[in-house]
Amino acid sequence: MRQEKSALPVRRVAVSGAGAVSGLGWGVRALWDGLRSGRTAIRPFARFDHALHRTHLAAEVADGDGAPPEELIRDCPDWRRLSVADRFALFAALEAVRQAGLDLPLAESGTEAGVWFGSSTGGMWESERFFHRYVTDRRRSRLADLAAQQVNGPGDAVARRLGVTGPVQTISSACSSGALALGAALDAVRSGTVEVAVAGGSDSLCQLTYAGFNALRAVDEGPCLPFRAGRAGMSFGEGAAVLVLEPLERALERGATPLAELAGAGSSCDAHHMTAPDPSGAGAAAALASALRDAGLAPDAVDFVNAHATGTPLNDAAEWQALRSVFGERAAEIPAVLTKALLGHLLGSAGALEAVVTVLCLLHGELHPAPGGEREAGEDGQSAALPASLVLDRPLPLPGARTAVSTSLAFGGSNAALVFSRFLETTA
Amino acid sequence: MSELIAVPNRIKRLIVESLHLEGMRPEMIEDEAPLFGEGLGLDSVDALELVVALEKEFGIKIRSQELGREVFSSVSSLSQFIEGRT
Repeated sequence: MRQEKSALPVRRVAVSGAGAVSGLGWGVRALWDGLRSGRTAIRPFARFDHALHRTHLAAEVADGDGAPPEELIRDCPDWRRLSVADRFALFAALEAVRQAGLDLPLAESGTEAGVWFGSSTGGMWESERFFHRYVTDRRRSRLADLAAQQVNGPGDAVARRLGVTGPVQTISSACSSGALALGAALDAVRSGTVEVAVAGGSDSLCQLTYAGFNALRAVDEGPCLPFRAGRAGMSFGEGAAVLVLEPLERALERGATPLAELAGAGSSCDAHHMTAPDPSGAGAAAALASALRDAGLAPDAVDFVNAHATGTPLNDAAEWQALRSVFGERAAEIPAVLTKALLGHLLGSAGALEAVVTVLCLLHGELHPAPGGEREAGEDGQSAALPASLVLDRPLPLPGARTAVSTSLAFGGSNAALVFSRFLETTA
Repeated sequence: MSELIAVPNRIKRLIVESLHLEGMRPEMIEDEAPLFGEGLGLDSVDALELVVALEKEFGIKIRSQELGREVFSSVSSLSQFIEGRT
C-alpha cells in the first residue's frame, strides 16, 4: 500500500529534465516538432528483413540529424558493446540530465541518485543476431551481442554513464514497464530514498516481438488508427525516453526550472487473460482512479488524457470503458491524445515516451494531433469508432491545461497510470 | 594462403575485426603496445572474444589457466605463444 502522502518527507516532485529518442528523431526538439506536425513516423523500416511478415512498417529510429554526437560515443568506453536500446537510453538520459543542469558523475558530485527503467526488449535484437550468426556461420557470432541481450542493459548502461551508485532497477512488465518504473521512481523520491531519480525506458525493434504480435494478428498493415472505426491493430515503434525527478523544493533551490510535476501514480492488474484485456476496463479504471487518488485530485481536474490507444479493436474498446467509468459523461469531452499513431508502440518503454509527450503537451499548452482523421464505420462490429474526443489532424491549443493523465495498459493485464501537473510558479 | 602472412599481422587483423574496434586499422597496432588496461584499453570481455577468435584462426585450444597477463600483454607476446603452439 502506498504510504499516506502527508507522512512522507517530500510532498511535490518536479520533472526537472527530459530526454527522448523516437521515430521522429533524436532529442526532445525533434520529437515535439514532429508531434506538432501530426505526421506519422510509422513507415517501411530497415532494422531487419521483414519480407516474410504480414506487415512491413514501424516507427524506426533513423540515423541522421541529431544522431549520437561524437562526444557521447567517445566518452563511453563500452559503446561498441552496447545494444541499440542501450544507446537510445544513454542519449535520452544525457539529454535529460543536461537539461536538469546536474553535474556528472552524479555520485561524485554529491548527488544521491537512482535509476528506474522499463524495457521489454533490452538487447533482444542483438541476441537474435548472435543466434542467427551462430547457426549460419559460427565464426561471425560475437560474445558482445550475447552480453548485450539483458533487459536490464539500458538502465544499467545509464547508471554507469551517469555515475549512479544508488538503487538501479529495471521493471519488465510488457507495455506498462516504463510507467511502472516512473511510479517506482516517484515513490523513491517522495520517501527520500534518493535525491534524484533518473527514470524512463528504452526498446528497439526486434524480430521476436515483430513476429509474435504478427502471429497473434494484432498488427495493422497500415499505420495504426487508435480509437477510430476500422482500426485493425497496433504498429511498432522504438526509442527511449528519460525523465529526471527530484523534490520540487530541491529543484527550485538550485535554480532549476521544472518542466512539470509528477503528481501521482497508480497501478493494477486485470487478472483476466494472458493476452486479451478485460473488456470491462475495470483494471485500467482502477489504475486510473488509484493514480488520481495518489495525486489528491478528482477526475474532474483532468484536462486531457494521453491514452494507451494501441489501435487494436479490443484494447481500445476496453480502455474506452475504463475512461467512461472513471470520468462518467465527461469521458466523451476530455481530449484524448493518441501518441502511438505517430510513434508506434514501443512496448515496455511506451509509458516513458508518452510521459515525456504528456509533459511537453502541458509545458507548451498544446495537444499534438494524430493523423488519419475520423473514419467510416467498418462492417466488423468490433472496430466501431469510440466516442472519445480525439485530437486529430491539427494541434489542439489548450493553454489552460493543468492536469493530464497518461495510461499504459499492458498485454497480460498490468495497468499503470501517471498524473502530471503543469508547473506554475504561483503554486511553488 | 593465410600461412604466408606473418602471425603478428594476423593477430592484429583479428583484434580489429573480432572486437569491432571502429576507426582502427591493423597497422595502427604496435607489436609491443599494451593491449589491456592502457594502450588499446581492452577489457575482460574483449579477452574472451579474442580467445575464441584466436582458437578458430589458428586451430589451437587455449586453456583458461593460460589466459594470463603475460601471454596477452601485447601482440608480440601473443605471437610467441601461438607460434609455440602451432
